[in-house]
Amino acid sequence: MKPRLSCAETFRHLDDYLDRELAAADTEAVEEHLQACADCSGEFAVERELLERIRAKLAGVKVPDTLRARIAALLARE
Amino acid sequence: MLSPVDDARATFEGLLAPVLDRAYATARRLTRNDADAEDLVQEAALLAYRGFKTFRHGSNFAAWFLRILMNAFLSSRRKHRAEDAAVSLDDVPNAYMQRQAHELVRGDAVPDGLGGGDVALGTLDKLEREQIEAAIDRLPEEFRVASALYFLQDLSYQDIAGMLGIPIGTVRSRLHRGRALLQQALWQVALDNGLVPGKQP
Repeated sequence: MKPRLSCAETFRHLDDYLDRELAAADTEAVEEHLQACADCSGEFAVERELLERIRAKLAGVKVPDTLRARIAALLARE
Repeated sequence: MLSPVDDARATFEGLLAPVLDRAYATARRLTRNDADAEDLVQEAALLAYRGFKTFRHGSNFAAWFLRILMNAFLSSRRKHRAEDAAVSLDDVPNAYMQRQAHELVRGDAVPDGLGGGDVALGTLDKLEREQIEAAIDRLPEEFRVASALYFLQDLSYQDIAGMLGIPIGTVRSRLHRGRALLQQALWQVALDNGLVPGKQP
């Protein structure tokens, strides 16, 4: 059975789909297309991975110990 | 035995400690400046402590603290609005890095066997955290703030809309556009630094 959405239509939903903000019916239509289309499925997976890797790189920041100490001292004075 | 005040402070500090790294990382992207980020986190911690009686114990402390941090940032922004770098308003397509990578592969510019996805991911992997941070910092503020909340906090469109006091549709548009602009910027950084297979600077 031919999927309801074309590749272009599916790709227009990419951002909302990856953000889990698509309505249920649209999610179902996207997933139906992804199951049938290896190209789109691959591209969605790469996009998800790209965003996750950006997130992982940005998450490596640690708050300076000096700031932790300053906050502790401020709270102790309250 | 701790006094009630010391007990409250110990409870507060116990909740604050695990959220500080992510709060500081977010503050750095909001303010684009480490010193200002430290001031923002410090101010938010103090405001949160003073308002700790309003916190519903058992609810999400990280989200509560982030809201206080965002309000402090938005308040200070109203006083000192910084200039944004000029950015082209031309529409940048989604999945920008993948599209560029696929173009390279179609043009036979990359070694055999590498697909567009491999090129896009491989290029991103070569970028340093500081290069990604700098690219976010160059985005116009509305996209930078939305991107910071997206990448550094696990928030829904509705959460972000509530934090920023804007409609969900606006959040959606800023996030999508912000991510496209960021990918465009990252691809350019990669090109400039000779990090894209098959493309010399």
